[in-house]
Amino acid sequence: MNFLLANLLSEPVGVAHYMVVGAVLFTCGIVCMATKRNALGVLMGVELVLNGANINLIAMGSPYLQGENATLGLDGQLMALFVIVLAAAEAAVLLAITLNFYNSAGSVDIDQADQLRG
Amino acid sequence: MNLHSPATYLSLLTFLPAAAAVVVCFLPKDQDEFVKKWTLGATVVAFLLSLGMLVGWPGIAFQIGEPGMQHVFSVDWIPSFQVHYMMGIDGISLPLVVLTTLISMLAMGASWPITKHVKAYCMLFLLLETGMIGVFLALDFFLFYVFWEVMLLPMYFLIGVWGGPRREYAAIKFFLFTLFGSVLMLIALLMLYYSSDLRPLDAGLLAEVGISQTDIEAIQAADTPQHTFNLLALQELGQTTDQFKNRLAGKTYEWWAFLLLFVGFVIKVPSVPLHTWLPDAHVEAPTPISMILAGILLKMGGYGLLRIAYPICPEAAYDLAMFVCTLGVVSMVYGAFAALAQTDFKRLVAYSSISHMGYVVLGLGVWSATAGTDYNPDYWKMGMNGALFQMIAHGISSAGMFFMVGLLYDRVHHRDLNQFGGIFGKMPLSSGLAIGIFFAGLGLPGLCGFIGEFFVVLATWKFSIPLAVVSAAVVILTAGYILWTLQRVYLGADYTGPHAEALTPITKRELSIAAPLLALALLFGVYPRALLDTMEPSVSQTVERLAEWKERDDQAKETRQDSGKTTRQARRLTNHHQQQLTTPSP
Amino acid sequence: MDLQTWLPLLLGLAWLLPLASFAIVSIGGSLPQIQGHHASYRSQKIAGVVASAACGASFLLSLLAMAIWLTNHPLGAEHPGGHPGTAHAPPHYSGDFYSLASFGDLHLAIGYYIDTLTVTMFCMVTLIATCVHVYSWGYMHEELADVVDNEVATRDGKALHRPGRYHRFFQYLSLFTFSMLGVVIAGNLAMVFVFWELVGICSYFLIGFYIERPSATNAANKAFIVNRVGDFGMLIGLMTLWSSLGTLHFDQIFPQLAEPASAGGLSYPLLVVAGIGLFCGCIGKSAQFPLHTWLPDAMEGPTPVSALVHSATMVAAGVYLVGRCYPIFVPEVLLVIAVVGAITLAMAATIAITAVDIKRVLAYSTISQLGYMMLSLGLGGWVAGLFHLITHAFFKSLLFLCSGSVIHAVHTNDLREMGGLRKKMPWTAYTMLVGCLAIIGAGVPAWGIGFSGFFSKDAILEQAWSFAGANPAPVYGLLLWVPVAGAMLTALYMFRLWYLTFAGEPRNADRYAHAHESPLSMIAPLVLLATLAVSIGWVWPFSELSVTSLLEQARPAGTQETVQGEWLSSLTIPDEHLSHAPEIQVPAGWTTFSAAMGGLLLATMTYLWKWLRAEEIRQSFRPIHSFLWNQWWFDELYDWTLVKPTLWLSRFFASIDHWLIDPLVHGITHVSRLVARLLDSLLDRRAIDGSLHTLADQTWNTGLSLRQLQSGSLRQYVLFLVAGTLGLFAVASLYWKFAVAG
Repeated sequence: MNFLLANLLSEPVGVAHYMVVGAVLFTCGIVCMATKRNALGVLMGVELVLNGANINLIAMGSPYLQGENATLGLDGQLMALFVIVLAAAEAAVLLAITLNFYNSAGSVDIDQADQLRG
Repeated sequence: MNLHSPATYLSLLTFLPAAAAVVVCFLPKDQDEFVKKWTLGATVVAFLLSLGMLVGWPGIAFQIGEPGMQHVFSVDWIPSFQVHYMMGIDGISLPLVVLTTLISMLAMGASWPITKHVKAYCMLFLLLETGMIGVFLALDFFLFYVFWEVMLLPMYFLIGVWGGPRREYAAIKFFLFTLFGSVLMLIALLMLYYSSDLRPLDAGLLAEVGISQTDIEAIQAADTPQHTFNLLALQELGQTTDQFKNRLAGKTYEWWAFLLLFVGFVIKVPSVPLHTWLPDAHVEAPTPISMILAGILLKMGGYGLLRIAYPICPEAAYDLAMFVCTLGVVSMVYGAFAALAQTDFKRLVAYSSISHMGYVVLGLGVWSATAGTDYNPDYWKMGMNGALFQMIAHGISSAGMFFMVGLLYDRVHHRDLNQFGGIFGKMPLSSGLAIGIFFAGLGLPGLCGFIGEFFVVLATWKFSIPLAVVSAAVVILTAGYILWTLQRVYLGADYTGPHAEALTPITKRELSIAAPLLALALLFGVYPRALLDTMEPSVSQTVERLAEWKERDDQAKETRQDSGKTTRQARRLTNHHQQQLTTPSP
Repeated sequence: MDLQTWLPLLLGLAWLLPLASFAIVSIGGSLPQIQGHHASYRSQKIAGVVASAACGASFLLSLLAMAIWLTNHPLGAEHPGGHPGTAHAPPHYSGDFYSLASFGDLHLAIGYYIDTLTVTMFCMVTLIATCVHVYSWGYMHEELADVVDNEVATRDGKALHRPGRYHRFFQYLSLFTFSMLGVVIAGNLAMVFVFWELVGICSYFLIGFYIERPSATNAANKAFIVNRVGDFGMLIGLMTLWSSLGTLHFDQIFPQLAEPASAGGLSYPLLVVAGIGLFCGCIGKSAQFPLHTWLPDAMEGPTPVSALVHSATMVAAGVYLVGRCYPIFVPEVLLVIAVVGAITLAMAATIAITAVDIKRVLAYSTISQLGYMMLSLGLGGWVAGLFHLITHAFFKSLLFLCSGSVIHAVHTNDLREMGGLRKKMPWTAYTMLVGCLAIIGAGVPAWGIGFSGFFSKDAILEQAWSFAGANPAPVYGLLLWVPVAGAMLTALYMFRLWYLTFAGEPRNADRYAHAHESPLSMIAPLVLLATLAVSIGWVWPFSELSVTSLLEQARPAGTQETVQGEWLSSLTIPDEHLSHAPEIQVPAGWTTFSAAMGGLLLATMTYLWKWLRAEEIRQSFRPIHSFLWNQWWFDELYDWTLVKPTLWLSRFFASIDHWLIDPLVHGITHVSRLVARLLDSLLDRRAIDGSLHTLADQTWNTGLSLRQLQSGSLRQYVLFLVAGTLGLFAVASLYWKFAVAG
């Protein structure tokens, strides 16, 4: 771990740095999803995960970071935009589910939503 | 439809009842009376059609006195196995066909008391009639087998659905016994089929046995064995060639085939010890079905022996003649004794059937045309004609007997001989008819039962004296059980059993069933030629051909032995000479 | 006149007329029953007249045939081309009416064989039948209206009421006459057998006429079955002849028998079998020992039946057949016939002495007389035997009709309740006396006159005398002394019967008071028959016509010579003509006369003069009496040795089905079902189904365990997702590192 961080700290900001940020965000999102019992918390975790991925996409596709050999071109940004749109839609759906769940169960505790248990 | 062609006429005769059965399907369900009348109408038409051949319908007129097969036609059915739709009539089958249609008609008349599932009953009844007529007309072994099986199933249901309290047991017993028999027949059929080869027969003979010209050319051009199901061809092969002489477990194919066929047919006859299905089936079956069972179905065994087993397998038939005759005599004695012990009226009549059918087996088997009698076939002719006559006579008398039993059963609903008596006082006319019909069964001269029994018994002495003596002794037992039965049922002061009030006089319908049977019994008893003129030439031809076969066979054996003997003698002579030469003279 | 055409026509017509009457009466009597009525009084009366007229017409036709015969074949003339001592057939006409069947060279037909014997028998049978028909008008008149049968009780204990069966009676009588004439006219043995059986069945109907009485139906069954036992033997005889000769026609059999075995004849053992077989049939029909037991029981039938069927004609058919088939019998067989006849006559005579039923006495006397006929035929007395058959027919039918008249008057058969009846019914009494005198053979040997029985019985004893002379061995002597003793017994029991019935004082006043002479229709036949019983043995005045001369003309080939047995070389059957020699005729005649007179005297002393007391005799010979009273225990013997074992055997056979074959069949089905079930459980259920089930179970269990993962908790799922992704990543990179890159 030491040597990874040492490299990062000793080099100019590049794709790897962004990726570290993305990974941190992603991990936070996962942890958030796995630990939060509140549905809204989980929603937030999802948003974090998506954004973590977005950072990666943008970093990969940025000609500023990758130089001339940026293979993705504008695709990274496009995909990020796509993810954002999806995230918005997904958030809307999730909120609707949560609302319905709340109406039926009287709470937003996802541990109570275990009707699919086998 | 050209009714003057044999193919159309015989097919119509066979399948008319089946067609009528199809129509019954579409008749309204609540019109029982109409369904019965329709069925009766169909059986009447079938009867008239069968009579048509006798009275000389143009194109299909039966030539009385002509021994051979008449009006043979043959159509390809399953060409890949040489199965033909082949039919024809001769003096053996025609009386049986007429008997079948007659008894079916009368049995349908006797079916009026049936009220349960009338439509189904009528359909099965008609289907049964098709099967029976087909068996007697078929000249193709495969076709014969098919009709044989067609007959089996309706009978099973007719006993099993419309029968008495133990009907399921009786129906299954009947079915298993008969099926066992037909399986044996099937094996024999395949054995004969696969060992047959038509090529050795010349074109004239092939044409004679009903094979078409194109087929003959194909057969003669063939270089592989040409198997056949044609019964006439198989008879020819069995009597003139060595095709069925392959050995199997020390015996020829022919021997095994005969044994299988014999057992198969004798179950139907039935002969002791394969008879126990009969009393049960009769006791449980409704009256009209008993009439058909005794009147026609039992005859198929005898017909099969006469048409198939004997002509196709003469050597085996000769080998086993003593066995066949002994079985016949055992059945006669056994049936008569067992009948004496019965207390159930219908069971008694059933055992009497076993006893009477024993005469048929005995009559078929009395092969007295041997070297000892200079191959004189006359006595055997008498026996075989007696057997066939007995089949017809028993068809008439036993159907009548079962009808008279049913007539009483319909009224008082029991059959216990010990609870009858005094019926004559209550129902004089029906008692008179019954006594007449029972006397026909007893073998009283002047009634049909006598002729067949008398011929068979007279013919037996030439074959075997002990069997003749035993078979003659059966007349005492027969008189014993029939008279005792008549005494217990019809004579006496008073009826003491249940339902005495139901003993009403015979109705017109019942009279019109019983009276023709008695009239026929009288006709054939007084003037047996009425029947013999039709059947005697064909039966006698069968016997003559078998007698000729025996003569040929004996001669062939003799020459074989002679040649063996002469070589042996020659060898002995040479040895003798050599000894003389080598021994120094003293 | 062409006899070959006319005789069959006349006799055939005489034969068929009763059949026509039978058909008319039976159909006419059944027609009302279809409508549910009974035949009316009037129609029943008409039935009686029709049957009698048919029978009478048959008699006239037979007489006409006889006249034609006699004009063409004058008596006493030698057979055409024949001379004594050679085998030649008597004049005869034979042919077929129609053929029953023919197989190659074998022919069976309904035909005729007409010789003097046939014509004579036709006249005798039709005459007696006509008398009996007329007699029955009176005897059976009760049957015209509803009948109360006091011998039968119904369920409620009252006497049975039933409609009359007058016309049925005549119907059976007609059928019987037809059948009997059929036996007589028959041209071959097969036809004889046919009508033999028909006669038997008529006898069955007539014995069992009172079908409500168990005794009657039992007797009818017994008669037919016992006859069938005899017919069994007859069948064997027929088979022997048929198989060896290939024909049963009389006119073909007789010439062939004369030929040696090699030329189409029969070998000696077969001849013996054939002879004894045929004789067995005759034993049954003629009620000879040991098959005689049915005849006494047959007396259950109405008395006219007993007169016609069971004394005069049907039972004589056996004797007739022996006479007809005489050339078939070799000396050894004849000896058997004679011995059976002798045993029968002695046995029946002894039983007749103790019987108290008037009809049973006559029945046993019939058996005894039939024994005489058989004895005579067996000893070579062909004419004598058949002569006795004819004379016996007349006096025995007379005796029976008289007894019927008595029974009609006093309504009982029991001799112990009669007595003194001659005052009430003189016609019956004196005609019966004539019958008794005829049967005992009353006559004066010195003058050569007497009743008919005198001539015929004398002829028999002469032949016996002649036989005893030809065979000196003492055993053969018995065949002479038994009939002589029999003659004495005959006189004894016949006069015992007459005295007990008509003489002395009435033993039952009540019955005596109600007794009356019978109506004219019954008396007239009695008088006619009495006249014939006296005179039938006589020679027609101013001619050679007599029964003996008629029979002499019919004498079959080969009986006019003395023959020796082949196996029993000491056995000699003498020529019948030898018995007419005076040295035989005179002693034989006197012996018979004295025997008969002795019997008559004994009867008179006991039953008329009462010098001897019958009761005391009975007491002192108690064992013998009880032996005779029970008819030599024959019925019991047969019951135990034949009837019961047959029934046991039948039950045994029936139980084979029930206990052996059916269980076997059931066993087979059970075993196959067991095998099926075994296969089912082992193969199907265990092996195939079992493995499938295991697979299914395992899948199920796996599913169950996997189900634990599906907790429904989202957070857990996320963890799984992450872990899974990581795991996949790890695997992919390891794979990359080692498998692809490495």
